[in-house]
Amino acid sequence: MATAHVGGYRPGLVDLKTGQISREIFVNEDIYAEEQERVFARAWLYVGHESQVPNPGDFFVSGMGEESVILTRDRAGQVRVFLNSCRHRGMKVCRYDEGNTTVFTCPYHGWSYGTDGRLVGVPYFREAYHSQLDRLQWGLVEVAQTCVHKGTVWATWDKDAPPFLEYLGDFARYLDQMFDSWDGSDGGTEILGGVQKWLVPSNWKFPAENFSGDSYHNISHRSVDMVGAGPSGSGRRDMPELNLARKLHIAIPDRGHQTTAYLLPREVEVPAGYQHSPVVSDYFKKCEEARRQQRGDWGRLITLVGEVFPSMAFLARQPRTIAVWHPRGPHQTEVWRWFLVDKNAPQDVKNFLRDYYIRYSGPAGMTEQDDMENWGYAHKASRGTIARRYSYSYEQGMGTEVDNYEWEGFSLPGSVTDLTQAKSSEHNLRNLYRRWAEFMEASDWDELASWRRAQRAAAE
Amino acid sequence: MSDPINVRTLPPGTRIVTADGAVAEIVSNPADGVWLFARYVESPSDPALVGQEDMIFAQDVVEVRPT
Repeated sequence: MATAHVGGYRPGLVDLKTGQISREIFVNEDIYAEEQERVFARAWLYVGHESQVPNPGDFFVSGMGEESVILTRDRAGQVRVFLNSCRHRGMKVCRYDEGNTTVFTCPYHGWSYGTDGRLVGVPYFREAYHSQLDRLQWGLVEVAQTCVHKGTVWATWDKDAPPFLEYLGDFARYLDQMFDSWDGSDGGTEILGGVQKWLVPSNWKFPAENFSGDSYHNISHRSVDMVGAGPSGSGRRDMPELNLARKLHIAIPDRGHQTTAYLLPREVEVPAGYQHSPVVSDYFKKCEEARRQQRGDWGRLITLVGEVFPSMAFLARQPRTIAVWHPRGPHQTEVWRWFLVDKNAPQDVKNFLRDYYIRYSGPAGMTEQDDMENWGYAHKASRGTIARRYSYSYEQGMGTEVDNYEWEGFSLPGSVTDLTQAKSSEHNLRNLYRRWAEFMEASDWDELASWRRAQRAAAE
Repeated sequence: MSDPINVRTLPPGTRIVTADGAVAEIVSNPADGVWLFARYVESPSDPALVGQEDMIFAQDVVEVRPT
């Protein structure tokens, strides 16, 4: 059995020169344990949405890698993220999914923490501890850094990680399409309903690569397309757009983030969609017009599925969702999916989208069921002694990506593959694993923040 | 040792007696079944506590005074 250390990652397990990746990185328990330390304890991770904790004392229990964390708004109104584990014996101090509280009380021995994480209640403090326990030292463990970006809450355990916007780099412009109102105004989204949570019997990297831009697997969803359960009449809702647009895969190599996108022609109107509801159709038509006016060329770009390294995926176009792939051992992933809508959308539009989202996404959604079946069976069939000897192929479209991609006078940041003719490429997937390998190899953020070295060299 | 008292249901304003004989009035109840926020009204063993707000542990509550 290969281990994490034999031959390093890139030459041994993630071979980007040949476009081959070992099955071991998906099924090996040693590698899994190491990636908890090297990836999930160092990267920025999506925790939740600010609209889930609007008032002081509100909390939402989320996860960062394998850890349970509490996203809360303290009494002073500050958004905080804490490890959901009592400092006395480790018991979860919050066992509800969400709510409002003044204190988080451990049910084991009764230690109690304020919403700012401070240890405020210690049973028999005077009698048993003789008032000697230094409560200031025993507050909840707080993440090293938190960032609220356009309503979304992100955190990292690593104090040396770069600030979140630097972590995103040029990817921020693509990601923000997810969080802004569809008419192009800033930060105008809210969570619709609750969070769907379910288990998938596969390694977390299967869904991560799928949402990085695996457009090769569309054949899996052909039955859904044939059923015609979409909201725009027959076939795929986005097919009229797709027929007009350049189909692009965009990767940010030094950051490990990637997305797929349509770039529409400058002079062509966006085709109508959502014909099943005149109210929704009219809403999005007006949004598209406003978006073009407000964003210029960027208004022509429609971000589709993408992945913020390592484990946050998004679908910026409808159904607009955020997914987090929580690792639950090498062979299982807990998927959490949030659904977003424009905050100011009419209630009829929100209701319509809610039905559409449920039909499409999640464990009962027709599209996601296909994916789960693929990931689960692919993982299971890769665990055997013989199966592990054979690498996966990621050779598709090698060397076809370009920097400074330009179309109709609009230049896009990142490394771009134009798939209008080629149909598909695995460039974005290779980008994900390149970054994963860098995280697995690098000793610290000095090494991981390679762009800083380039900036320093340019300044000298 | 007294019978356990369900502190979760005690509303603000309720007066409780603690194991060391102090009387405190509940200011707020986080309803976790473990703690009460209360202000001391009487404290024979430590008079300095009177008027102070404190967190009272459920196992320290030995009596609920009728309102």
